[in-house]
Amino acid sequence: MRKKLIAIFAGLISSLILPFLVSSASAEEVRSMKLWAREQAAGPAPHTAALIIAQTLNELGLDITVNAVPWPQMADQVWYKRLDEDTWDLTMWQMVSRPERSDPDEFTYNLFHSSTAEKGYNFIGYVSSAYDELAEKQRVTMDPDARKQIVDQAQQLLADDAANAYLVHPLLNFAYDNTQFKDGSAIEQAGLGIKNIWTYLNIEPINGNNDLVAQSLDEIQAINPFFISGGTDSWITEIVWDRLLRIGPNGTPQPWAAESFNWVNEQTIDVTLRSGMSWHDGQPVTTEDVIFSFEAPMDAEMVPMYSPFVKNIDSMEDMGNNVVRFNLKSSNAAFLTSTLAKINLVPKHYYGPIIDSLKGTGNNAETIIEEKRIGSGPFKFVDWRQREQVILEANSGHFNPPKINRWIMKEIPNVEAALGMFRKGEVNFLTDYKGDPAVLANIVEEDGDITLVKSVDVGFQYMAMNHRRAPFDDVNFRRAVSLAIDRDVMVNAAWAGNAVKAGSHISPALSFYHKDGITEFETGIDLAKKILEDAGYTVKNGRLHYPEGVSEKH
Amino acid sequence: MIAEIYKIFKENNYATIGVCIYLFFILVAIFADLIATNDPLRINFSSSGLARNLPPSWEYFLGTTSNGRDIFSQLIYGSRNALAVGLSAALAVAILGTIVGLISGFYGGWIDNLIMRLADIALGLPFLPFVIVLAAFLGPSSWNVVIAIGLLLWPNAGRIIRSQVLTLRERGYIESAKVSGCSNFRIIFLHIAPNILPLSFLYGSIAIGWAILTEASVSFLGFGPSDVISWGYMLQDAYSSQALSLGAYIWFIPPGICIVLMVVAGFFISRGYEEILFPKIKK
Amino acid sequence: MFDFWSIVRRFLYMLFVLWIVATIIFFMFRLMPGSPLTAFIGTTFTDEQHDLLVKRFGLDKSLFEQYTLFIVNTLKGDFGLSFTYNKPVINMIIEALPNSIILTLFSLVIAYIFGVIAGAYLAWKRATFIEGFSIPIVLTTRSAPEFWLGMIALAFFSFQLDIFPSGGTSAAGVIYETTLSKLTSLHFYYHLILPSLVLALYLQGLPLLLMRSNMLEVMQEDFVTMSKMKGLSSWRIVIYHAARNALLPVATAFTLGVGFAFGGNVVIETVFSWPGLGRLLVFAVSSSDYPLAQGAFIFLTAILILMNFLADLLYLFLDPRVSYKTKN
Repeated sequence: MRKKLIAIFAGLISSLILPFLVSSASAEEVRSMKLWAREQAAGPAPHTAALIIAQTLNELGLDITVNAVPWPQMADQVWYKRLDEDTWDLTMWQMVSRPERSDPDEFTYNLFHSSTAEKGYNFIGYVSSAYDELAEKQRVTMDPDARKQIVDQAQQLLADDAANAYLVHPLLNFAYDNTQFKDGSAIEQAGLGIKNIWTYLNIEPINGNNDLVAQSLDEIQAINPFFISGGTDSWITEIVWDRLLRIGPNGTPQPWAAESFNWVNEQTIDVTLRSGMSWHDGQPVTTEDVIFSFEAPMDAEMVPMYSPFVKNIDSMEDMGNNVVRFNLKSSNAAFLTSTLAKINLVPKHYYGPIIDSLKGTGNNAETIIEEKRIGSGPFKFVDWRQREQVILEANSGHFNPPKINRWIMKEIPNVEAALGMFRKGEVNFLTDYKGDPAVLANIVEEDGDITLVKSVDVGFQYMAMNHRRAPFDDVNFRRAVSLAIDRDVMVNAAWAGNAVKAGSHISPALSFYHKDGITEFETGIDLAKKILEDAGYTVKNGRLHYPEGVSEKH
Repeated sequence: MIAEIYKIFKENNYATIGVCIYLFFILVAIFADLIATNDPLRINFSSSGLARNLPPSWEYFLGTTSNGRDIFSQLIYGSRNALAVGLSAALAVAILGTIVGLISGFYGGWIDNLIMRLADIALGLPFLPFVIVLAAFLGPSSWNVVIAIGLLLWPNAGRIIRSQVLTLRERGYIESAKVSGCSNFRIIFLHIAPNILPLSFLYGSIAIGWAILTEASVSFLGFGPSDVISWGYMLQDAYSSQALSLGAYIWFIPPGICIVLMVVAGFFISRGYEEILFPKIKK
Repeated sequence: MFDFWSIVRRFLYMLFVLWIVATIIFFMFRLMPGSPLTAFIGTTFTDEQHDLLVKRFGLDKSLFEQYTLFIVNTLKGDFGLSFTYNKPVINMIIEALPNSIILTLFSLVIAYIFGVIAGAYLAWKRATFIEGFSIPIVLTTRSAPEFWLGMIALAFFSFQLDIFPSGGTSAAGVIYETTLSKLTSLHFYYHLILPSLVLALYLQGLPLLLMRSNMLEVMQEDFVTMSKMKGLSSWRIVIYHAARNALLPVATAFTLGVGFAFGGNVVIETVFSWPGLGRLLVFAVSSSDYPLAQGAFIFLTAILILMNFLADLLYLFLDPRVSYKTKN
C-alpha cells in the first residue's frame, strides 16, 4: 500500500514538474509492473524463480513486484482478461506433460499460432505470419525428417523473437518400493517418467505383493471415457479404456487395439482392429464399437472435451475383416498421436443408450454418473470412494495383461502426508510428488529400499510476456528481459538442481524434435543492459526509460 | 478501573503471567527491526547457491527455510502480524459488542429486537468456513480474520453486556440521572459504559486468541496472503516445504510455540478477569 | 411445562435464519471477482464450450433469476451440479457427511468423558500442586493450533512410531460396500483414532472447566461440609450434586459443540486427509466450484443452527427455572 502511494505520488510529481524542468527530453519511464505467480504452496520452485527474476530485472532499472495469487485469480487475469486495456505484463506459467504432447504439434501450433491468440492457448498474443506458416506446414508434413526441419526452424524463430522466457524443463521424480516390486521393472516413457501404462503393465510385484498403490495430490473428479478434468483423471481413463494406438515408451505412437494401420494416401488411413478383444462385461469389441467411439465425440455439445480431436475426420467406413477406414478432411501429421492414440474406445451397447438418453436434456456426456464403467483396457474399474481412493483390478483376459493384481490410487491432498505414507509402505509407488526433490533424495538414501527414477519432463516452466503491451511489443526488450535471467541460477537455485535448462517449447526428452543447442545461449545482466542500450533505452534516476519518441500508448 | 487492574495483578498469578507474555511480544514487535538479523522475505544466497535449509548458525539463528529465508527474522516479524491481527480483532469485538449491547439494552423495543435477530444470524454462520469464503471473496489478507471476527463474534459480548445493561438500567442512580434531565447519550456513555468496560475487556481479550488461531488456520489452509509474514504463514510454509520430513523441528516448532504463548496469555488474562467479575468461582 | 407453539415458532425462526444465511452466501459467491468458470482452464477449452457451460450452469440468467432458482432448488434439496465434478452437489455432500458426523461425535464424546472426569478430579484436588500444574496445561491445549498438533501427532505417532495410519478412512484397497458397513468396520475406527484424539485434545478444555467450576460451587455448600463431618462418603455426595448441577451446562455445551466442531473440523480433515464436509468445502472454495462450496457451506450452517436450536430446547427441558416464554 505504502509502495503504491509512493509510486502514485512519484508519478504525480514527475508528470507535473518534469515537463517544466526537462521539456526537451521526451523519454518516458517504463511503468512499474507485476510479475504474476501462483502462491508458494502451489509450487515452491516457480515461486522462488519469480522472486529471483524480479530481483534480477529490477537491476535493469525496472520496478517489478511479484504478485502471488491463487490459480483462479491468476487465470482470470492472464487468460480471460488478456485483451483488456490494463491487464497483466509478466506471468509465470507452465505447460505440463501429457502423452499426446509427445508429438510436437500441440505446443507448436496451439501456443503460438495467431489463430489462437484471441481466445486459445496463445494468451501472450504472439503474432507472426512467418511463424504461422511454419506451424501450419509441420502439421501437414508427413515425412518425419522434413517435419523435424520445420519444427527446428520454428524453435529458432521463437528464440530469435524471444517469444517466451523459457526457464526449465523440470525433472520428474517417481519412486517405488523395491521390496515390493522388482528393481528396474518399471519402464520409462520419454518425457513422462516411469508413471505410465507401460510400467503398470510390466512392473513385477515380488515378495507376495499383489497391489500397486499409487498416490495423487489432486482430487480425482471424473472417471469417464468422455471427460477428464485434469491430469489425474487421465491416469485412470488411460488404463481402463483402450485406444487404437498408444504412445510407446519412445514417444511415438504404436499399434495397440489396432493390430496395424496403413496410410492409403495422405488423407486416408486404414486401421485393422485386433481380433479377439472383449469388453469388461464380456461382449466382443467390434468395428461398430470403434466407429461409435469416434462418432460420439463429433457431437460437440455432447462430448465437448474430445470433439476437437475428431474434427478432422470426414467419415469412417467399415471395410470388413476388422478394418475401419478413416477419411480425413486434410492431411495431418499428428493424427496418429492426437486422435487415434487419444480417443477412448467405448462399447456402443453400453454408452450408446446413455448418450441417447442425455440428448435434449441439456446435460452432456461429461455429467454421466455411471453405474458401471466399461472399457476394454488392461484394468477393470472396481471402486471409487471420492477424495479417498480408486481401485482397479487387472483384466486377465487382456491381450497385454498386467502382472499386478490391483491398481489402487489413494487421493492424499498434501505432499507431506503422501511421503509419510510412502515411507510407511501404505503407498508403494510414489506417482505424484510435487515436493522438494532434496527431501525425497534424502529419504531414498536413508531407506535403502527405494528406487528413484528421474526423467526430463515434456512440459516446461516459463515466464510469459504480454506481447500486446509496450514494452513487450519490442523484440529487443523481450530479448533483454529473457537474457537477463541466468538459467543456471534458475536450475540450481529455484529448482534445486531438479531441472534442466529450457530454450524452446520442445523438451530434450523428445530428442528427435528437440533442436540441438537451443538451450545454449549467453545470459547475464550486462548483456541485457547492452541490448537495451543499443535499442535506445536509457536509465535515468535508476529507472529505465523508453527510447525517445516511443511511448506506452500508441 | 486502575484499582481493579491492580487487584488482578496482586491476587492472580495467571493474569500477571499473561500480561508479561504480552509485554514481551509487544516489545519484540516494536523492536523487530533491531532484533531481526535479516529481511524476513529476502532470499539469501550462500557461496554454494541458494542458502536453503541451513542449520542454525551465527548468521541465521534458527537456520533458513527451503526458500533461503531467515527463520529467526520471520519469527520476530511474525509477532507484529499476530499483535496487529489479535489487537484489532479484540478492538472490533469490544467496540462492536459494547455499542450493540449498550444500545440494545438501554433502548430495548424494536432496536433491541432487530439487534438480537442479527445476533442470531451471526451466530448461525460457521466461523472458520465463513472466514475461508470471505478470503475467497475479498482475496487473501490477514484482515479477513479481523473482519470475520468483527462480523461474527460480537453477539457473545453483545448479549452479556446487554443483560448487564438491563440490570444497571433499573438502578437508582440511572433513574436519578434520567430524572435530572441527562440525555440518553450521556447516560449511556457516562453512567452505564464505565460499569461494563471490564466485560468489554474480557471479551476483547478472548478475541485475541481466537484471531491468532484463526489466522493461523486460514494461512495453513492456503487462504492467507503469501507476502505477509505471520506465524501461521510460517507453519504453512514449513508444512508445504516438508519440514516434517526434513526433520527441521527448528522451523515448525517455534512458530507453534509462539502462537500457543500468545493465545494462552489471552486466556490467562481473561481468566484472571473472570475471577474478579464472577467471584463465585474464586477461592 | 413448555409451550408447544413457541417451539414451533422458534423452529420457523430457525428456518428464517437459515434462509438469510443462504442468501448471504449466494450473493457472496456470485459477486466474487473472476469468472466462475476459470477452474476449467488448462483443458482444451473452446469458446463454444465456454458458452455451453455458462448456459448449463445457468450463469447467463440475471442475478435475480439465478437467486430465485437457487432458493427454489435448495428447498427441493437440489444444490445444483458441481462445476468440477459434474455431479449433483447433494450426492457429494451425502457421501462426505457421515465421515464428518462420526469424526465430530467421536472426538466430542472422548473429550467430554475425559473432561468431565478430569474436571471433577481437579476440583477435588483444589489448591494442590496438581491443580496448579494442570490448569495451565488445559488452557495450553486450547491455545495450540489444531493443525499444528495434528502435524506433530502425525510425525510422531504415525511416521516415527508407526502406531496409527496417517490418513484417510481405510488402508489402500479396502472396499466399504455401503456406508453402514464402513461405519461398523473396526478398520474405519482404527483410522479414526488419531484425528479424533487430536480434536478431543482441543475440545476437552471446555467440559473440564465447566465441570470443575460446578464441583467447586457444590463443594462450598453447607451440606457437603455437614456430610463430611458426619463421615459420609463425601466424594459420592459431591459427585452426585455436582453432576446434577453440571448436567445442564455440559449438555448444552456438548450440543453447541457439535455445531461448532463441525465447522472447525475443516483443518483436521485436511491434515489427516479425512474425506469430510470441511475438506469438501476447502476444495470447493480453492477451485472456485461455487455450487459445491455453497452446498457444503449451507449444510455446515444448517447443522450449526440446528444444534443451536437443540441447545435451546435442552435448556428448556433440563432447567426447571427457565420456561420458554420468559426466555423469549
